[in-house]
Amino acid sequence: MKKASPSAIASTAILCFLFWLMITGQIVSIFKGEASAQVLIAGAVVSILAGLFSARFFIHEKAFFLWDPKRFASLIVYCCWTFPRELVKANIDVAKRALDPDLPVNPGIVKVPANVKGSYAQAMLADSITLTPGTITMDITEEDDKTYYYIHWIDVATQEPEEAGEAIKGTLEAGVRKIWED
Amino acid sequence: MRIIVDILILCSIFFAFAGVVGMLRMPDVFCRMQSSTNIATLGVLGVILGGFLFSLVYLHDVAMALKLLMMGVFYIITNPITGHAICRGAYKHGIRPDNEMECDKYGEDLEVEE
Repeated sequence: MKKASPSAIASTAILCFLFWLMITGQIVSIFKGEASAQVLIAGAVVSILAGLFSARFFIHEKAFFLWDPKRFASLIVYCCWTFPRELVKANIDVAKRALDPDLPVNPGIVKVPANVKGSYAQAMLADSITLTPGTITMDITEEDDKTYYYIHWIDVATQEPEEAGEAIKGTLEAGVRKIWED
Repeated sequence: MRIIVDILILCSIFFAFAGVVGMLRMPDVFCRMQSSTNIATLGVLGVILGGFLFSLVYLHDVAMALKLLMMGVFYIITNPITGHAICRGAYKHGIRPDNEMECDKYGEDLEVEE
């Protein structure tokens, strides 16, 4: 197994420490100036230990990759606008199908090409597709340098890979690509 | 402000209801999974957002609001992975829908590999 670089350990530890601050509620106490030193030190020690042991599972490439203003901005835009919009649209669609007396479903598994690079981007797009009701990513393969998703789709409108990709991924793919592009 | 909180929670109740109805009515495992993501996304997120606003505006408890937000984040990260794993596990285990599917590219490609 690959060894974790110091920057990977540092970024994992920082992330863990932020989570600790939020979960214990200390982040509010810091602003009020009444943080308990004991809790902070315990959190720091535990997060450094967690970083040492888990950084190699967690971070494989450059550790502070997302810490670029442009990339971070597109991540925020994706999380707060692009993704919720698709989510609400798909949710209303599936809720309508479930409540419709005729139950208009036409399920099938389609194969869809995806133009995203790197395992983080692939995982993020697959998770976004799964989280959208109506589509679940079943598997992912690579053929001739191209990535394909197998997607279970509740209403197969077309079996043509490109068109199905347009219908399923919508604006998600462009958003993901903007975050993880080099 | 109170109206916004109520609308968010009502929305999430509606979507959770639709998801449950879908789970009972859908014809096979995979379609039921589809319907359950309905509960998982807007059903849960609506309640979490509503609770977030409520604890921020009415209880003045920022720590609780942040905890709710963290719950939402963890939920979003972990949920699709379980959905994907259950679906793929069911398929590889040999579970197939009763009715013929419109198309099954995954099954075709799996047979070719074998």
